[in-house]
Amino acid sequence: MSPPAASTPTLAPEIADPRLYLDSIPHERFAQIRAMPGLAWHPYGDRGFWAVTRHADVRAVSRNPRVFSSAIGHTNLWDLEADALEARRSLIDTDAPDHTRLRRMVAGAFTPKNIRRWEDAVREITVELLDEFLAQGGGDWVEMVAAPLPIRVILSMLGVPVADGGYLVELSNYLVEGTSDTQSLPPDAFGNTTELRLLPFNSPASHALFEYGDEMRSKRRAEPCDDLVTHLVKAEAEGGRISRHEYRHLFHLLVFAGNETTRTAISHGAMALAAHPDQWQRVVDDPGLVEPATEEIIRWATPVLHMRRTAAVDCELAGTPIAAGDKVVMWYASANRDEAAYTDPFRFDVGRGDNEHFAFGGGGPHLCLGAFLARLEVSVLLQEMAARRMFLEQRGEPVRMASNFVHGVLSVDMAPGGAP
Amino acid sequence: MSADLVRVAVDSERCIGGGQCEMLEPEVFLVDDDEAISSVIGSGELPRDRADVVVHRCPGAAISIVEPQRPSE
Repeated sequence: MSPPAASTPTLAPEIADPRLYLDSIPHERFAQIRAMPGLAWHPYGDRGFWAVTRHADVRAVSRNPRVFSSAIGHTNLWDLEADALEARRSLIDTDAPDHTRLRRMVAGAFTPKNIRRWEDAVREITVELLDEFLAQGGGDWVEMVAAPLPIRVILSMLGVPVADGGYLVELSNYLVEGTSDTQSLPPDAFGNTTELRLLPFNSPASHALFEYGDEMRSKRRAEPCDDLVTHLVKAEAEGGRISRHEYRHLFHLLVFAGNETTRTAISHGAMALAAHPDQWQRVVDDPGLVEPATEEIIRWATPVLHMRRTAAVDCELAGTPIAAGDKVVMWYASANRDEAAYTDPFRFDVGRGDNEHFAFGGGGPHLCLGAFLARLEVSVLLQEMAARRMFLEQRGEPVRMASNFVHGVLSVDMAPGGAP
Repeated sequence: MSADLVRVAVDSERCIGGGQCEMLEPEVFLVDDDEAISSVIGSGELPRDRADVVVHRCPGAAISIVEPQRPSE
C-alpha cells in the first residue's frame, strides 16, 4: 500500500522499530509528528501506515468504528495472513454486531458496581504482597508486586483454582515475551502442534492456555460455580450465544489482558513515585488524591502503546485523504503526551484534573474491559502504601522490553524507604 | 445556579456496557449485570454540562440528550 498519489504526505520519523523503545518511548519523535500538518505517513515493510499521534485524532479514529474497522485487518501495525487473522481473532479484532454481543457476555462482571465487590479481595492480596516486599527489604518490584497482584485477581474472577495460579502466571509470562522480539520456548512446548503463526503472540503458551480454558469449560459444565467461566459456559449452552472459538479466545484474552497491562501500570507507577517523592508526599498527606493519582499513573504508564484500525472506506482525517484498506495506527503513547490536550504533559502531577487519558483506548467501543478493575488495583495499592507511609527508592535502571506494542518492564529493583 | 436540566436516554442497541456513564453519574445510569446494558434510573435528568460530558465519554456513542427541559428555578 503506497501513499495516495494526489498529494505527497509528510513522512514520519521512524517510530515502529521495537529497539527504539528499549530506553523509553521515543517521545521527541512523537512530538515531531504531532507538529506535522495533517497525518504523517510511516513506511513499514511493503505496507506503511498513517501515524495518528494527536489526542483529538486518536479519539476520532477510535470513535468511528464503521470507518476505522478492527475486523478487516489486524489490530497491530504488522500484518497477518488471512488464515492467521481468522485463527487468532478475539474480541479485540471484531466490529459491531459481533463485538457488542461478545463484549456483553462478560461486561456485566466489570461494571463499576460489580468491580467494587472485589475490593476486599484486592486489598487482602495487596497487603500480603506489600508486607512480604517490606519484610525482604525490597527487591524486584515487578516480580514481587506488579506481576502477582493483577494475575491473582483475574484468576479469582475466572474461578481458576489457587493451586493452578503459578502455572497460569508462567504461561502469561511467556505470552508477554511474545509481544517482544524474543521467544524462549521451542515451538512444540506444552505439546503444541499448531503452527505458531496461527497462535496469539506466535506463542506455544497460547496453545497451553487454550487447553487449560477447555479443561475449565468441561469442569464448569459438570459442576457450575459462581465465576466468569461458568457464566460463559452457560452462555454457550443457552442457544449458542458464544462459539467454542470465541470462548477459547475470550478466556485467553481475560488471562492475558487482565494481567499484563496492570502489571505495566504498577511498574511504571512505582518508578514515577520513586522519581517524584514530592508528588507521592502529596498523596500520603491527602487520601483524596488517590483517585487522580491513579489516573495520572495510568496516563503516565500508557501500558498499551498503539492499536491499529483499517479504513473500511475512502475517508479523510485531519485533512488528509485515506484510502480504503489503509492502515491507521493510533499511538496512545503520543496522545497521552499531547500538548494540545494537557497542560505540561510531561509533568507527573497527582492532582491533575480532567484527565481524559487514552490508556484504556481512544474513547471508542473497544474501551478496555478491565478499566475499573485496573483502577481498583492501582488505587488500593496506593492506599495501602500511603497507610504505611511507604516511599520507594529505585535501585538502578529497569530492564525494559523492546516492543512497540506494550510498554513492558521486565524487572526494576526497588527498596522501601521513609520520606526523603 | 439555574443550570439547564436535560433528559438523557440510552440506545440499548449501541450500548457496549462499558460503564463510563455509571462511573460518571451513578444516580442516573446503571449497567445491568446479565445483559450488560445501561439504562436510565430515576428521572434521567442532568444539568446540561454534565450530560454533555457523559455523551462525550460514552464509548458506544449510545447516550443522547432527548429533551431539553425548562430551566430549573
